Amino acid sequence: MIYAEHLRKEFRKTVKDPGLKGSFKALFKPKKEVVVAADDISFHVPEGEILGFIGPNGAGKSTVIKMLTGILTPTSGECRINGKIPQNDRKNYVKEIGAVFGQRTQLWWDLPLQETYNVLKEIYEVDDAKFKKRMDFLNEVLELEKFIKSPVRTLSLGQRMRADIAASMLHSPKVLFLDEPTIGLDVVVKDNIRQAIMKINKEEKTTVILTTHDISDIELLCDRIVMIDKGKNVYDGSLHELRENFGQTRELVFETDNSSNLTEDLFRKGLNLKGSDLVIESEKNNFKVRFNSTKIPVGEMLSYTLSLTKVKDISVKDSDIEEIIRNLYRQGESSDE
Amino acid sequence: MNKIIKSYAPFMQAGIQTLIIYRMNFLGFVIGGLIYCFVMFYLWRAVFDSNGEGIFLGFSMTDMVIYLFLANTTSQLTYSSVSEVIGEEIKDGSISMRLLKPVNTDLSYMFSELGEVTMKLLVLFLPMITGLEIYRFCITGTVMFNAINFLLFLLSVVLAYIISFRVNLCFGFIAFYVKNLWGIGILKNSIIGFLSGSLIPLAFMPDRLRVCLEYMPFASMGYTPVMIYMGKYGANEILFRIGLQVVWALLLYGLSKLIWFGAIKKLCVQGG
Repeated sequence: MIYAEHLRKEFRKTVKDPGLKGSFKALFKPKKEVVVAADDISFHVPEGEILGFIGPNGAGKSTVIKMLTGILTPTSGECRINGKIPQNDRKNYVKEIGAVFGQRTQLWWDLPLQETYNVLKEIYEVDDAKFKKRMDFLNEVLELEKFIKSPVRTLSLGQRMRADIAASMLHSPKVLFLDEPTIGLDVVVKDNIRQAIMKINKEEKTTVILTTHDISDIELLCDRIVMIDKGKNVYDGSLHELRENFGQTRELVFETDNSSNLTEDLFRKGLNLKGSDLVIESEKNNFKVRFNSTKIPVGEMLSYTLSLTKVKDISVKDSDIEEIIRNLYRQGESSDE
Repeated sequence: MNKIIKSYAPFMQAGIQTLIIYRMNFLGFVIGGLIYCFVMFYLWRAVFDSNGEGIFLGFSMTDMVIYLFLANTTSQLTYSSVSEVIGEEIKDGSISMRLLKPVNTDLSYMFSELGEVTMKLLVLFLPMITGLEIYRFCITGTVMFNAINFLLFLLSVVLAYIISFRVNLCFGFIAFYVKNLWGIGILKNSIIGFLSGSLIPLAFMPDRLRVCLEYMPFASMGYTPVMIYMGKYGANEILFRIGLQVVWALLLYGLSKLIWFGAIKKLCVQGG
């Protein structure tokens, strides 16, 4: 469905020294510098999959998405979506895709929201019956009725984002590119949007590429993730696998009357753990144990701690993806040095 | 053809609707244009008064009044702001949203603008023509309106708009290279204002310069239709001038396509 082969994008930019003096220097003798935003990015996505495309800020995610949607031309490499090369026949290609860029809008800024949909209906040549069915569906999942008659510039961020997502789905695209669709939204709206993505993926086998910084987006939606950093592929595989390899850490938090007698040494000796397999932090009455769950099962750790002290409250934290990604990023950084 | 209308008409409608929402802005634009016309009128009347003969380089004062008002209205009608729109979209990166639509980029720009042109036609142009004809009737006592000249004039205006649109499109694509168009935009507008004769009739220029300018696309953007309307051209000359307009329209169409294919590869979207 989506093939990206060795995509590379270079930008030229003028660098200037700081300050007014630097600006003048740049005016008369501009120094050009080549920035590589994406370097040898390859992956492919089968039909009907939701792919999480993640990476830290400035990793080149948006650049890759823009190449896949045909906005930017790769410096080298090729992408092929649904058998088409986006740059060759942009007009026909974009009929089959939908895209949302979280920081931009495709809605007509000054017109009531409904007008944008009417315009899109004509542009994408959606017939009346289909359009009506589609609007009903989108109304239902994204709750657009309340503001569909208001001019777009008066919408709140959450409303606008829902409206934008609806706009990208209106023509039943085969592929959906969502670049940070949940940026800056509250939990309820995020949930709405996830529901819409899930539904459309299930019912129409729409392939989705999703970039996000919100880990729960990935956990709830994505079958697979591709991670890039500094323009390069870092990881490609399932979330489950990622967790297996990097996410054995569990964290237990106990609330006790007095935790001063619980030292790290005591645990290390008692349970026979070494090095980074165990980290303990205690602060007043809170007592935090972070440990490698492949070395010692959670149950054992629990009963051991309970045998040492009187516990008022316990909470267990799963290794969250954020932690895993932090680890991965850190690994990437240390291998650079 | 039908399909073109169906998929681009919404751009035009949206253009008109946007204009109506910002109607004070539009009104200001119309009134500002009128004030400018009157300033020019008094300036030229001073010139004619000091000349004392009533005829200045083949133009009577009545001619001059018609020329001033008509040239200004025509240049507003054929004015294309597409270069500013492209410049703005490049500057804030929103051009990427336009590229995601399954439409021809230049046609989508053109139809959004045609909405505005339609409004100018109704609100500014038709009243102006009526006013000018009444003025001519009061001064000369005869009806000077000529239907054939008027139709030829309209044809010439359409061609003038297409040329103006293409020139501005080519100019707008420069934004792909320089990223911010504002400064050279002002330079462009004053050059076009002068070379197209909307400031001073080209007939007043020295002969050699005039001939050169008349062959350039800028004259085709405003001067040609006005001269046709005023009946300053004979039948042959009209044919020749309109032919020249067609040639320029085709050349500039080709040029803008050429620049587009070069520029799209250079595109880098600013800000995210």
